[in-house]
Amino acid sequence: MKLVGVCACTSGIAHTYMAKEKLVKAAEALGHEIHVETQGTIGTEDPLTPEQIAEADAVILAVDIKIDKSRFEGKRVMEVPTSVVLKASKQIINKIEESLN
Amino acid sequence: MAEGSTRGFDISNVIDQKLIALDLDVSNKVEMLERLTDLFEEQGKLNDREAFFKDVMWREGEGQTGIGMGVAIPHGKSEGVNETALAIGTSKQPIEWESLDGEPVSIVILFAVTMGDSDVVHLKLLQHVAMLLAHESFVDKLHAVKSPEEMLALLESSPDDYDD
Repeated sequence: MKLVGVCACTSGIAHTYMAKEKLVKAAEALGHEIHVETQGTIGTEDPLTPEQIAEADAVILAVDIKIDKSRFEGKRVMEVPTSVVLKASKQIINKIEESLN
Repeated sequence: MAEGSTRGFDISNVIDQKLIALDLDVSNKVEMLERLTDLFEEQGKLNDREAFFKDVMWREGEGQTGIGMGVAIPHGKSEGVNETALAIGTSKQPIEWESLDGEPVSIVILFAVTMGDSDVVHLKLLQHVAMLLAHESFVDKLHAVKSPEEMLALLESSPDDYDD
């Protein structure tokens, strides 16, 4: 499946990027395509394109703070704290896949 | 290569041997953070030790900085920081820390970050370290480090070097 994600943590220093790395590696290992945007202290990096969002089967938000979700209206969205991604990235992706079937 | 790869960055911009202290004889979180803050102060990374320490402790109150597998990544984004940097301490005995896996830690990587966000090179290096820490096989190697030189060499590795 095709996934897009956004990671953002309290300070935007570490957890954001750990979560992204976990999501990307887990998705690749499970054979899925994923694009992950980070919103950290450095600003927004690897911003999701409207095409990526439109094509995505689901959206993963690994966020500890409020972010603007208007881009994802009408999409299947799973929102979890970054800590859950750090602990169980593969399980999250499997869960999304199950929910789509 | 994975998206957002940071291969080729020079880690010496944020950490050197003087900011690494192995086998510290510390018995709790505050002692460990004090020792690492000492290292920052000795290396001129702080302009206000108290403000920095307060900001680190504030962040500790906001949520767990123990990421599991015996590692914690406390961080202070603070007016008290002159220059964004990292300090790493390992403890002889595991110390109590609020962690994702509920276990104590023996490796503490303290991030000191300036308030300005213009420090892109430094922030990218912190990202690099965070990405490395997402890999269990990297953390295993971290626990096996015997010298500051080895620690620096390990930090220079790329997240793409680790398969898990």
